[in-house]
Amino acid sequence: MTQQEAVEWIAKLFEVPPDRLTPDTLRDDIPAWDSLGVLTLMASLDSDHGIVLTDDDVQAIKRVGDILDVMRRNGKLT
Amino acid sequence: MALVRTSGARIAAVCTCVPTRRFDNLKDSAEFSDEEIRKVTGMAGVAARRLAGDAVCSSDLCVAAAKRALDKLDWSPDSIDALIMVTQTPDYFLPSTACVVHQRLGLADHCAAFDVGLGCSGYPYGMWLAAMMLQGGGVRRALVLHGETPTRFSDKADRSVSLLFGDAGSATALEATGSDGGDPWYYALHSDGSGYNSMIIESGGFRDRFGSDPRKHCVYMNGALIFNFTIKRVPALIDETLTGSGFRAADIDYFIFHQSNQFIMKHLCVKQSLPLEKVPIILKEFGNTGGASIPLTLTQAALTRPQDRALRLMLVGYGVGLSWGSALVDLDPKAILDSVELDNCTELPA
Repeated sequence: MTQQEAVEWIAKLFEVPPDRLTPDTLRDDIPAWDSLGVLTLMASLDSDHGIVLTDDDVQAIKRVGDILDVMRRNGKLT
Repeated sequence: MALVRTSGARIAAVCTCVPTRRFDNLKDSAEFSDEEIRKVTGMAGVAARRLAGDAVCSSDLCVAAAKRALDKLDWSPDSIDALIMVTQTPDYFLPSTACVVHQRLGLADHCAAFDVGLGCSGYPYGMWLAAMMLQGGGVRRALVLHGETPTRFSDKADRSVSLLFGDAGSATALEATGSDGGDPWYYALHSDGSGYNSMIIESGGFRDRFGSDPRKHCVYMNGALIFNFTIKRVPALIDETLTGSGFRAADIDYFIFHQSNQFIMKHLCVKQSLPLEKVPIILKEFGNTGGASIPLTLTQAALTRPQDRALRLMLVGYGVGLSWGSALVDLDPKAILDSVELDNCTELPA
């Protein structure tokens, strides 16, 4: 998956237009990325990409770029 | 520890008790907007819950269930050799709630009675302890009581818990069968104390007995960490139990999960390729009742009840601790009793 495709995946997850997201977009700027959105993100990373986060990842993810970093570390980004 | 196997015990009765008071999350919640409630309850799957009044403890709910079970079985109280009370909402710091219950059920002084301080994982642990005692000899009949009143430690303003929890008690009556018993039972039991603070009531215990922040006398739950723990540990637990017992998922009639949250439970089903009809969910009417949710599911879900054989069940508990465990057991459907209800005017212990 390319970074652009990953951004589109994240945008679909949080129901925002992809062109509104950059790696620097903060969690606070995405209304659907609330405490329930975190669970949706974790479940979708697991079911769509086979990624189960570490506890440190769970605490550290604060922006779109952090999600992309996790996907990159897990070999899901080309 | 390795998978444990026991034999020589049967479940004679499972009975549960919930408070009479039904709380409809949408109609009765004043703390949150309808939109917030719909969002949370839609994800968690909890439309309503049963709430214990301020005078009702886990022990009261468990005693009501145990009385019904003993009555239906026609077991005299002095035939009970062991009482295991699993709860994280005890009546007192001391004595143990098991001793309070012992008195209220009129059990004899040859009955061993003790508490187990586990929550969402507690039912498989209680079954394991009881089965080990029955297998070991000397104990002919045992009661495993598991009750929780989490609504009494929830901050009403904390939407991560206040719309989720309900109260329930249960009683499971077990009996030694000697060598005439059915299939062996299996247990996988685990702990990870590094996550002790993922779900915690910080004040009120002896670490911070009189803490001045009232929120710290209520439960704190880091939902993301608990979810992460669950999706890491529960699939491995199920696989371990199946592999160690030699059964396939298809051999199991029902996987009775701790009723944590519908979103989590459905995710586990997808991850483990378990058909939803094999994983009953009763969250809609009862919410998350802690570990008591496992026996509550046995009595409240519309399980098929074959007349000619026992159900083979995998009981799966996971949560606070962090602690998780499974019990693979047989249950004669006739042992599942109707649930009882208790209002706030219960007979309290002297």
